[in-house]
Amino acid sequence: MSEGDQELRALMIRYQGGSFDAFQEIYARLAPGVRRYLLHLAGAHSAGGSGIADDLLQETFLQVHRSRAGYNPAYAVRPWMFGLARNVFLMNRRAARRLAKVYESREDLPDFPVLPEADRLGSQEEIRRGMAHLHPDQAEALLLHHEWGFSFEEIAGMLGISAAAARARASRGMADLRMALNSLQRARA
Amino acid sequence: MIDRSPRPPEALMRAIAQDLKPVTPSPRPLQLALRMIPVALLVSSLILLAIGLRPDSVILGPVLTWGASAAQFLLAIGLVWIAAHESTPAGRLPRQMVYAAAAAAALLVVFITLLTFSTSAANEPVLRVPPRVGEMLRDSPWIMGFGCGIGSTFAGGILVLFFSWVFRNSLATRPTVAGALYGAGAGVAINAGWRIACPISTPWHALGAHGAAIIATVILGALIGHFLGNRRLHIE
Repeated sequence: MSEGDQELRALMIRYQGGSFDAFQEIYARLAPGVRRYLLHLAGAHSAGGSGIADDLLQETFLQVHRSRAGYNPAYAVRPWMFGLARNVFLMNRRAARRLAKVYESREDLPDFPVLPEADRLGSQEEIRRGMAHLHPDQAEALLLHHEWGFSFEEIAGMLGISAAAARARASRGMADLRMALNSLQRARA
Repeated sequence: MIDRSPRPPEALMRAIAQDLKPVTPSPRPLQLALRMIPVALLVSSLILLAIGLRPDSVILGPVLTWGASAAQFLLAIGLVWIAAHESTPAGRLPRQMVYAAAAAAALLVVFITLLTFSTSAANEPVLRVPPRVGEMLRDSPWIMGFGCGIGSTFAGGILVLFFSWVFRNSLATRPTVAGALYGAGAGVAINAGWRIACPISTPWHALGAHGAAIIATVILGALIGHFLGNRRLHIE
């Protein structure tokens, strides 16, 4: 486990003990990444979409607070937090079908995460467009691994799949992204 | 890409600052499942304490009497363990494993029922009841089936309610599935005790009455899980 994970775990234990400072520190460290993940899940593509991600972020941290007893220090904090954010998104999507519609139309995403590893494959705009062509499951595994640095075992625990399936999704996603970028670049040429 | 660090909303901070009482961390899924054993054992043994061991237990032998029930009970605790994993955001098990465990539980119950029947085809409701009641049960076997179905559903329901209380802070992505899993665990655990007390081993009775009780606890668990999940993540 990395030093950052150890620190987060120590903060989480302090937060469970009633420390407000620890919560603020956890928020400061994790909120930006969780927000971008929620933005990816929601497939937001407008100022309104960004607002949805902010609402979901707030809801996620409220859930973290209500369920702070549900965290066991044996688990790393980041996968637990991202997994909880995913739950919040999915429950919201079920509750409000309007989010599903947004989720299905993922074109032109200004704040959408772009893989650092994919930078050499094309411009940021091309990568965004290429990502929009991926199957949502592949895009999610790809981003969780390459963008947020989760191991395939951690992704498996978050998504309810095997580590091999997580690896396969990320790998197929990267292959499909390359194909999509080639097509986009050929079309432009 | 701009990595915007959002400022924590005031309302969120206020809500959190107002409620910062220390909490005890939840146990890990295996610890949680193991802690369920005493209560599950107690509730599933109640019928055995009430009406005693089935009269043909000598014919069945210890393996098919106690061994088969122990296997069912272990599988029931396994289902609770899977439900606990399903309720942990970073600890979910692969979907195939969840469905395989549910299918294995159903197959084990059917297999043990058929094996018990093939070893001892007991069809007589031999119970410590007044002779007139015994005669009535012999004449109308559906009464025995109804009694076993209702009785084991009631006992399973108690266990489901207990599991629901334990899982009240569940963070399951699929709370209905998690509920169905601990409901199945409760049903199979109760059946493990009930089958070594019930004097009838015909498949229509064992699967019809006792099996229906397991299905009822699965449905009850799923409904409670669904309700708790909706209540936890209710969106205005």
